[in-house]
Amino acid sequence: MRIAELQWEVERGGKPGGTTLAMTFRIPQSAIRILVALWRLNVAEELQYRANFVASLLGTTFWIGTALLTLAVFFRHTTRLGDWDYWEVVVLLGVFNTLTGVIEAVLRPGIGRLAGEVKSGGLDLVLAKPVDAQGFVSFRRLDVWRLTDVVLGLTLAGYALHRLGRVPSVVQLAAFGLALAAAVVVVYALWVALMSLAFWFVSVENLSVLFDAVYEGARYPVSAYPGALRFVFVYLIPIAWTTTIPASALTGRLEPGFALVAAAVAGVAFALTRLLWRTALKRYSGASG
Amino acid sequence: MPPIVTAERLSKTFRVKVRDPGLKGALAALVRPRYRDVHAVRDVTFRIEPGEIVAFLGPNGAGKTTTLKMLTGLLYPTTGRVEVAGVVPWTGGRDFKRRIALVLGNRQQLVWDLPPEETFLLNRAIYDIAEAAYGERLAELVDLLELRDVLEKPVRQLSLGERMKCELAAALLHRPPLLFLDEPTLGLDVTAQEAIRGFLTQYRERHGATVLLTSHYMQDVTALASRVLIINRGHLLYDGALDALVARIARIKRIELVLGPGDGVTAETLAAFGTVKSFHFPNAVLEVRRDEAAATSARLLAALPVADLSIEDPPIEDVIRQAFAQGLGADR
Repeated sequence: MRIAELQWEVERGGKPGGTTLAMTFRIPQSAIRILVALWRLNVAEELQYRANFVASLLGTTFWIGTALLTLAVFFRHTTRLGDWDYWEVVVLLGVFNTLTGVIEAVLRPGIGRLAGEVKSGGLDLVLAKPVDAQGFVSFRRLDVWRLTDVVLGLTLAGYALHRLGRVPSVVQLAAFGLALAAAVVVVYALWVALMSLAFWFVSVENLSVLFDAVYEGARYPVSAYPGALRFVFVYLIPIAWTTTIPASALTGRLEPGFALVAAAVAGVAFALTRLLWRTALKRYSGASG
Repeated sequence: MPPIVTAERLSKTFRVKVRDPGLKGALAALVRPRYRDVHAVRDVTFRIEPGEIVAFLGPNGAGKTTTLKMLTGLLYPTTGRVEVAGVVPWTGGRDFKRRIALVLGNRQQLVWDLPPEETFLLNRAIYDIAEAAYGERLAELVDLLELRDVLEKPVRQLSLGERMKCELAAALLHRPPLLFLDEPTLGLDVTAQEAIRGFLTQYRERHGATVLLTSHYMQDVTALASRVLIINRGHLLYDGALDALVARIARIKRIELVLGPGDGVTAETLAAFGTVKSFHFPNAVLEVRRDEAAATSARLLAALPVADLSIEDPPIEDVIRQAFAQGLGADR
């Protein structure tokens, strides 16, 4: 059985004999099975290089140290950055580092290699397999040591929250979780969008460097930027949704309900990447023009 | 039984950007790009019956791989119709992909740092192969391909030949009825090439799979295929039995000589034995009739100070050039 189709019958409550709204969720069981196999393989591969763990830990520690130092320099001249105080920005830095962990563990080693494979034709082997190509290319790698960034990032955010003297409510924590999940989806969408360019401009390389350059902008709250740039980061290259929003949800700057807006943004972004990917593949196989 | 592959008037045209050399050309291409149509495959028609081993032959850039990609659904044809295993490849979806195997000689799916078995397990998950079937198939492939000593070594430590054997094993675990092999012996030494050929023959006999392979090694074809499709510049030049092709075109053999010390051997001396293709002392290449190759070699060894002698088929490029000259495309 390839795809387990789960029929969820949702009875309209309070209406005996009323219409039954049948919703079909296609839960790709095969996808989960393949992911488990892939990641098992990656972990086995990574375990051969235990030094990577130490390198990753040291790298992240130094990175956080430098970032904090930079912040300290800023805050010698000011007490607020875009109306955020020092520890609030550190919370944001923690979120940024968490997302960096996801990027380095999954996205860069997975979909980040797409451009090279389009060029070399290696993508053909993926396309010849009975798998969802976007899913396979996106999540085929798990560089497990880089997940230390996620742990360190969340720890940093937690510590900064403690220094702020705030204890988030359960609702705030839930809102933060949702906003963070939405942030991961938005970052993913940005990578797919960027990497899909390889289908149009075969000779582009180091597309991930372009991502890094833009994503640096997410290290500071979006309110610290001038109006035009703020507009860009919220609506066009939506990196504001990846750090500013989850951090704000955690520190209580935003109503918890706003996390739902973040989830909606993530949903739209994901749908767009799906569309873009299909268009790109059609182009690859010469179906369009 | 209906044909397993049908290609009717298949064509593929790529639109490529052209630019003049130099900075000026680059700027002009930026402002006003010009395009040129490249006809990779033109009006190709053929059918393949289940169980056949068919070889696509042709020089680099002849359109072999493009044809293969259209048959596997990786490329859409510009015009024409394809039906493979009863479906149009690019609409066949996952069910279609489960029925084929694609092996590309210059790409690998094996995970570099891990033993090949890890990749096999991944494919087991991808193709959803039941535990028992997986064990049985793996045992068979390990046996046929002689992979016992290889299974536990990381792929990066394997030789090119061992790697290709493992690529084949990985691609065949889901036991597809249809195999597409693009240059499966590319860059391999003679022993490894023979091992792969031997395996493919055995595998087909056991499972009745249909095999389509491309190659530019004549030996691959003579050992494997009962039928060849010769493609050059996108056109199908010849479609038919290999014997007929060899009898008609490759009527000659090449004798490559390395002469020993001693003077007196001239191009004229050699011309008495066959057509002299090249002569740079001490190396010489002669072409002789196929049926006389052995006798002529014996005479050469007896008459001249020969240090080394080998009999080769003419390179496939020569055969195809001859096919052009003799207009074989017309009487297929």
